[in-house]
Amino acid sequence: MRRIFYMVFKEFRQVFRDPQMVGLIFVVPIFQLLVLSFAITTEVKHLKLLVVDLDGSRTSREVVRSFSHTDRFNVVGFTRDLREIQPAMQGWQAQVALVIPPGFGRDLQRGLSPQVQVVVDGVDGNTASVATGYARGILGQFAQGAVRTSRVQGAIMEERMWYNPDLSSKQFMVPGIVVVLLTILPMTLSSLSLVKEKEIGTLEQLMVTPLSKYQLLLGKLVPFLVLSYVELALVTAVAVLVFDISMNGSYGLLAALAFLYLFSTLGLGIFVSTITQSQQQAMFVSWFFMVFMVLMSGFFIPIENMPPVLQKVTYLNPMRFFTTITREIFQKGSSLRYLMKDVIPMTGFGLLIVGLSVVKFRKRIG
Amino acid sequence: MVQSRVLAIARKEFLHIVYDFRTLFILFLMPVMQLVMFGYAMNMEIEQVNMAVVDRSGTPGSRELVEGFRASRFFRPFSFEGSREEMEGLFQDRRAHVVMVVPVEFDRKLVREGAVPVQFLIDASDANTAMLVRNYCSRVLEAFNEGRRSRVFAAPFEMRPAVLFNPDLKSSYFFVPGVIAMILVMISALLTSVAIAREKETGTLEQILVSPVRAYEIILGKVLPYLVLAFLDAVLILGVGLLIFGVPFRGDALLLAGLTLLYIFSALSLGLMISTRVKSQQVAMMAALVATLLPTMMLSGMIFPIASMPELLQYVTYVIPARYYLLIVRGILLKGSSLGQLVAPTLSLVVMVLVLLVVSVRRFGTDLET
Repeated sequence: MRRIFYMVFKEFRQVFRDPQMVGLIFVVPIFQLLVLSFAITTEVKHLKLLVVDLDGSRTSREVVRSFSHTDRFNVVGFTRDLREIQPAMQGWQAQVALVIPPGFGRDLQRGLSPQVQVVVDGVDGNTASVATGYARGILGQFAQGAVRTSRVQGAIMEERMWYNPDLSSKQFMVPGIVVVLLTILPMTLSSLSLVKEKEIGTLEQLMVTPLSKYQLLLGKLVPFLVLSYVELALVTAVAVLVFDISMNGSYGLLAALAFLYLFSTLGLGIFVSTITQSQQQAMFVSWFFMVFMVLMSGFFIPIENMPPVLQKVTYLNPMRFFTTITREIFQKGSSLRYLMKDVIPMTGFGLLIVGLSVVKFRKRIG
Repeated sequence: MVQSRVLAIARKEFLHIVYDFRTLFILFLMPVMQLVMFGYAMNMEIEQVNMAVVDRSGTPGSRELVEGFRASRFFRPFSFEGSREEMEGLFQDRRAHVVMVVPVEFDRKLVREGAVPVQFLIDASDANTAMLVRNYCSRVLEAFNEGRRSRVFAAPFEMRPAVLFNPDLKSSYFFVPGVIAMILVMISALLTSVAIAREKETGTLEQILVSPVRAYEIILGKVLPYLVLAFLDAVLILGVGLLIFGVPFRGDALLLAGLTLLYIFSALSLGLMISTRVKSQQVAMMAALVATLLPTMMLSGMIFPIASMPELLQYVTYVIPARYYLLIVRGILLKGSSLGQLVAPTLSLVVMVLVLLVVSVRRFGTDLET
């Protein structure tokens, strides 16, 4: 027991000796939390609109005004030349073009049902379809105003957003970022630490000490576990106190499940460490794992959107489970009962990877 | 003389890379795997969202509405009866993303009053998906209304939508260039971030310092081989992207090659800048990772539109190199943009490279003296 303590002590000293390292572990994550939590929104606003008004009548100007009045479109220019649309989009100056044909106002009064064309840049498919929807809505309202018939509205949408009524993105982003940080930090720290000893040749020195392999591994893991917990506490505190993230669930449950998750990330780090030769290799391999884990976790691409085969692949990703767990605890205040279907596979993965690394580690040494 | 010294350092650095088979293997295999996986995974269209339907009316009109949702490929409606608590249970259990409540006497109200509220309870714990679900719900509802309205009165004018560059609105056209930008910046920054830190750590930096090379010569010599390496990587993943995902290539290949080199150069310079400021490889790589992974994914416009971000954050995006490269690579591949149309992002990258290099050389220079 004393031996492990010394080992742990050594690891801590190694981390805290380097002020840059301390900064990376504690300051940078908070900074990222501050900046990134506001970034994510799939809401589409301020679309750059090029107006091609070939009519120039009072009616056509009214149509244009109904677009420029919303914050959904920003009119970036007027032209009377249809050939300007494509270059404007190629140079990223416009995303949408509204084409009002000549004689629009006159034809409308005569009831000839003229056509308005809305040209959208399809490169970003999501934005393009939302933009078309916006245009349809605005033109539809204009049409109703134009005919002034009895209003036939039909079924009206009445929406209730549960758990996050104003759809503030930070409410679900911040818990997600907490998980990302709890992935990056333990994985890089643990993947680099063993391989570093290998690279500079101090691993042999550790081997000849009376520490058993398990004690050695434990001595490596415990400090990172502690650091990760401090990190978790820190970012959760910032999230709740600074960002006003509502925490509807139990902190105890979150902490307990985080412990199970750290098995996976620390285990993966150690595993990477056993299969690589240099710090650079270890870094690249853990980078690969991390990008995979972050993107396939539902952190910002909903898993439901993925093709069925890939959805199955996400079950191999421990971060997927912990992202769900954290969000559900923060926002819905879910109890363990509802989370079991995530907790079980996550724990299984953690135990498996830790076991695998222990075996691998023992073999290398033996 | 200057040239030969730079080349000598480049050669040495190059040998470092080539001797390390594993790293080389990782460098070429992983990006391809990532691209393939994410090209398929990234999809901002919702598909088959589970929808619980509480039909309190049960009339032809309400069934038509539910059928409208079923017919759209976005929803998978199933009927459900229960109290509000039980609906909450649906969300807690994650069996449904949205609950639609059709009120009693739906048809009669629709005809008599012209307007009927239909309630949509949406699980907004994932605000993004909630927003998408809402958009799709209102789209299906609008189509339902449109169908009924056309039986009542004719629209005074028509709207004809046209989609340029990507008429089928394929997600992969949008995301494949994005993934390429992300992979390139991360590989480049990670590669060079250790370049100088490693020499510091192993103590070989002093040996270089006592040789007659200048600071900028070392920096250039360190960058060159990685420029070649990362460029090969770029060609590889671009080829894979074009072949597997059928992303069109409408612009000038030479222009794309030139601007890709510029982008790689900016990422390499970022890595170098980090390298000159840290003491160990570990810190260098972690810093490079932190500086590139999340910011590129989230702030470059790779996934989320920059115009929708808060204004202050939009200014932050100006320091993300991928932001400019995305305009370039998407523009050239999908739109066939010319250099003249991409002047602004190109110049921004040039400025970024210059600033980063000057900072690195100066920092390195002061290191040399002390």
